[in-house]
Amino acid sequence: MLTVYLDFKSPAAYLAMTPTLALIERLGFETQWKPFRTVERDVPKLGKEETVGESHRRVRAASQRALAIKYAKHQGIDLRFPENLGASDLALGALAAVDGDRLPYIQAAFHAYWQDHADLDDPQVVEGLIRQSCAQMTTDLKQVRDLLEAAQDQAEEGGIVGAPAYVIADQIFVGREHLPWIEEIASAL
Amino acid sequence: MLTSEAPLIVYVDVKSPYAFVAIRPTLALEAELGLQFDWRPLTLDIPSYLGSAEKKKGKVVASKGRSQRTWNAIRYSYRDARRYAERQGLVLKGTEKIWDSTLPNIGILWVMQTSRDRLGAYFEAVYPPFWRRELDIEDISVVENCLVEAGVDTTGFAAFADGAGRALHDELQPQFHPNGIYGVPTYVLGDDILFGREHLPYVRWALSGRVGSPPDIAYEIA
Repeated sequence: MLTVYLDFKSPAAYLAMTPTLALIERLGFETQWKPFRTVERDVPKLGKEETVGESHRRVRAASQRALAIKYAKHQGIDLRFPENLGASDLALGALAAVDGDRLPYIQAAFHAYWQDHADLDDPQVVEGLIRQSCAQMTTDLKQVRDLLEAAQDQAEEGGIVGAPAYVIADQIFVGREHLPWIEEIASAL
Repeated sequence: MLTSEAPLIVYVDVKSPYAFVAIRPTLALEAELGLQFDWRPLTLDIPSYLGSAEKKKGKVVASKGRSQRTWNAIRYSYRDARRYAERQGLVLKGTEKIWDSTLPNIGILWVMQTSRDRLGAYFEAVYPPFWRRELDIEDISVVENCLVEAGVDTTGFAAFADGAGRALHDELQPQFHPNGIYGVPTYVLGDDILFGREHLPYVRWALSGRVGSPPDIAYEIA
């Protein structure tokens, strides 16, 4: 069993989908998809008087964004960041409540955020994603924020620190760069 | 700063666990391609962006400016670097304080200027024992011993570390952020500034003629 944690507003999680799905298809592995709320930050503006720490955070954020765009191009994705990164809590909470195959809902949510820049914290948007993906829900949309908080607490207690995160054979891997090792473990199981 | 006659500039820091686990794969790529990379030191100012901490016997005895989330991320990063180090047959123990790695990093400049062919040996003399907690890298005699062990002549090193080498090292530091560099290992490949060894597949592809589709990021495993 492979467990994958993701957040729809995370560019790293978005870009991990294609290689992760390719791996799952190669190995025919049972996969559990779970929500994990990440902290995504805009690239800070250049300040007149920056501390070294502020400068570091600005340069790091700009670099991470540039690299995400670069590798997205390799996947044929025109990665455009929304002006307002917003929140994805409601859509993530809904993910925790999807019964059965969660993949169609996940793909619809990623597309909505990254292609349409939809507000994934808006009930109308999330209801639309549920309808579009024909997802069966275990609970009402009003309850799903509590589900997300419970899932988040459980994930953090379990050692998840970012997305995409993979759990296989009791090992946690954060980032798609680990897929070669994950494949090695999966092949040996 | 980011120009070089070499096809690739590699920035590393002796006190970085990420750099530690990147050294052997990067040296292997250099050998595989039959090229010479331009290795340079970047001495990280860790407390400025990650806060600071001091440990004794594995317990945190002092911590400043670190949230629980930051601690969780740091712990994961160390665990992650450790398991990849173990795959390389290396031991990686968490450091008990944030070391000043200026001296061994000036050592990189010294080796690059005086004994380029001994650079791999110098990395082997410094990195693995430091990460086994066997080296006091703030002691110049310890760094000189590493140079000797690597087969590097140390005549003039002390003066270099105190003079021209120190000046060169210090000149580099304020230039990193304006050039888009913030951590190690960083690979500078033309206009590409790539942080992390996960870019080595791309570097290999780019330096091998860009044949076929560019590869995705990956930590390559032996």
